[in-house]
Amino acid sequence: MTLGLTHFLVLSTLLFCLGLFAMLTRRNAVAILMGVELMLNAANINLVAFNKYVAPGALNGQVFALVVITLAACEAGVGLALVMSAYRNLETVHVDEINVMKW
Amino acid sequence: MGQLAAFIILSVVTLVSAVVVVASQNIVRSALSLIPTLLGIAGVYILLQAEYVAGIQVLIYAGAITVLILFVIMLTEHGTGARFRQVNEQVLPGTIAVAVLAALLMAVFFGTAWPRAAGTLPQYTATSIGTTFLTSAILVFIVTSFVLLVALMGAIVIARRER
Amino acid sequence: MPLPIEDLWAVSPEIWLAGLGLLLLVLDLFVPSGRKAIVGWAAAAGLTLGLVPILGLVGVTPRTVFFGTYVVDGFAIFFKIVAVASTVLVILSAMDVLRGQTQFEGEMYILLTFTALGLSLMAGSADLIMVVLSIEFVSLCSYVMAGYFKADRRGNEAGLKYFLFGAGASAVMIYGFSILYGLTGQTSLYAIASALSGAPRPAVVVALVMALAGIGFKVSMVPFHQWTPDVYEGAPTPVAAFLSVASKAAGFAVLLRLLAVAFASAPVDWITLIAGLSAVTMTVGNLLALPQRNIKRMLAYSSISHAGFLLMGVAAYAGEFAQGLLYYILAYAFTNLGAFFVAVTVGQRLGTDDIPAYAGLGERAPALAWLMALFMLSLTGIPPTAGFVGKFYIFGAAVQNGLIWLAAIGVVNSVIALYYYVGVIRAMFLMPPASAGPVGQPAALQLALGITGLGTLAAGLFPQPFVTLVSAASLLLRF
Repeated sequence: MTLGLTHFLVLSTLLFCLGLFAMLTRRNAVAILMGVELMLNAANINLVAFNKYVAPGALNGQVFALVVITLAACEAGVGLALVMSAYRNLETVHVDEINVMKW
Repeated sequence: MGQLAAFIILSVVTLVSAVVVVASQNIVRSALSLIPTLLGIAGVYILLQAEYVAGIQVLIYAGAITVLILFVIMLTEHGTGARFRQVNEQVLPGTIAVAVLAALLMAVFFGTAWPRAAGTLPQYTATSIGTTFLTSAILVFIVTSFVLLVALMGAIVIARRER
Repeated sequence: MPLPIEDLWAVSPEIWLAGLGLLLLVLDLFVPSGRKAIVGWAAAAGLTLGLVPILGLVGVTPRTVFFGTYVVDGFAIFFKIVAVASTVLVILSAMDVLRGQTQFEGEMYILLTFTALGLSLMAGSADLIMVVLSIEFVSLCSYVMAGYFKADRRGNEAGLKYFLFGAGASAVMIYGFSILYGLTGQTSLYAIASALSGAPRPAVVVALVMALAGIGFKVSMVPFHQWTPDVYEGAPTPVAAFLSVASKAAGFAVLLRLLAVAFASAPVDWITLIAGLSAVTMTVGNLLALPQRNIKRMLAYSSISHAGFLLMGVAAYAGEFAQGLLYYILAYAFTNLGAFFVAVTVGQRLGTDDIPAYAGLGERAPALAWLMALFMLSLTGIPPTAGFVGKFYIFGAAVQNGLIWLAAIGVVNSVIALYYYVGVIRAMFLMPPASAGPVGQPAALQLALGITGLGTLAAGLFPQPFVTLVSAASLLLRF
């Protein structure tokens, strides 16, 4: 058995689902953000793997992955700033305690 | 064979530490095990002949983003956050939903005949990526710089205190 | 391969907006705090001038530029006009709100200008990478603007919730796009279109559903709508107006381009899927709007239900018929911006967003009350307002394309919506005022209100010029 596309897809599926699990179950906003990062990484594994096995002629997949990494950095910056500003006022980062407004 | 062995080791490192990230009751431990997860993924990129992406992954993800996350945890959770309950009441339904989704995705991925192509990637991808960014992806490159600008501006505006 | 110089002309509106944003950043440095309204007026003037290069592109031959990553066609131009014009109006309405509320007043105008750039890019993206990038561009700006008032606890909550929902939704969307890339080996929507026709069905369905999660979040489609009421209530009211009109319109531009181009010949029946989502979205939004007492929450749920009507336009987009959708967006933009601007005025002057506070507004501020009544009637879809013509066209398009059941559900929903829209009118004219005294309005807000009111009436009374405009704009480059 040699290393093939399917191996990478299995890895990315598991990683995506772990990230989604963190999004669904975590109370801490930062932990939810970590879950989002795992999901983005899963997408990146897909993109780079497909680039090698499906479309090796151009580097679109790797370029896409680099853009996603950049966007993840932007999201982390803005998101953590929002967490900090919420923490100053509400004194918590647990999303189930943050409900000034009713759902 | 050697490649497969390397892949299995990297996957185990990645997935085990990813499980710690999502399941640990200690938020600092979660954030710290993000580092081996992201480094394992960087190794996977090297297996996929994407050494430039792997380098960026180490620098930005494992380096910058993780440190940023750790800082915010230190500032908001009184140190370790070990005193707080970290999960909500949706653990059981969440587990079931995610397991179903994983099974579904796997079934779809295994059942799909991906349009494999025979060609090979360039020996070193860094130069080709640079060329792509400055030719066919030039608009992407320019817009990315504007996204970075607004993210920078937005983060400063939100993080600074009002006088 | 060198870049053809005509490609730069094709993006002249974007170049103008980007340059304007950078100029305003520098200008903001030299304007003393307390007089930041100068930056706002400069932004509004610059954006209005930005309409010139956009209008200069009207009638351009539809084509892709920048090596197939971007497209100029009548469709994109229409959405650029909507984006820039509504940004101007939002800036005018924001000036009074921002003054004294935050020391970062100038930065808000700059962020709005850059968001207009992001919205224009969304309208013209023809490549998966560009789609992701432009959606994230707009999202990042929106997260910041939603949480802009840092001293306000509801503002903190709005910003954080919007961010967490948005980041999750876009991660799912990116994963879906990665599957789409794997199925075709291409990132250009036009190249994907031809490669997708023979692709295996289950994987295409998974990719489509995941992509819909991200875009559905931006347009607040059920079941990705939960953030909408909290964010609209907690965010500064002008920002809520902006999110409900400009972001939503651009989201529909991306959605329609993705479906009508990339999924045109895919082995998946997206028309039925979107029609079903449309029925669910308009019904859920309407039913949840009924018990609301806060005007911003009510408008939030009403905007969810309008997303359902717009999805009907997407489902009915067959052949060369985008007119229903485009006219509805035009009418909705005027009307909903206007309704939010009235909410801005009342919120500023009376310090509350509760609908009972509107009691007696007919005596205290007759002009404002009559305008609000006009907007409420237009949102319901009663003639002679823009909303009526919009609904007429969108139902017509649905019936024409064999979606009679969907049009019937739409009619029923319009009748339900009458209840909560008329509730506002009843409060304004039939209930006694809680306190006497007129309600003042600042000049910039009066201008914004006047334009939206005039637009709502004109598009309702004289639809013909608007129909001509919309038909010219409905040309979407497909291949």
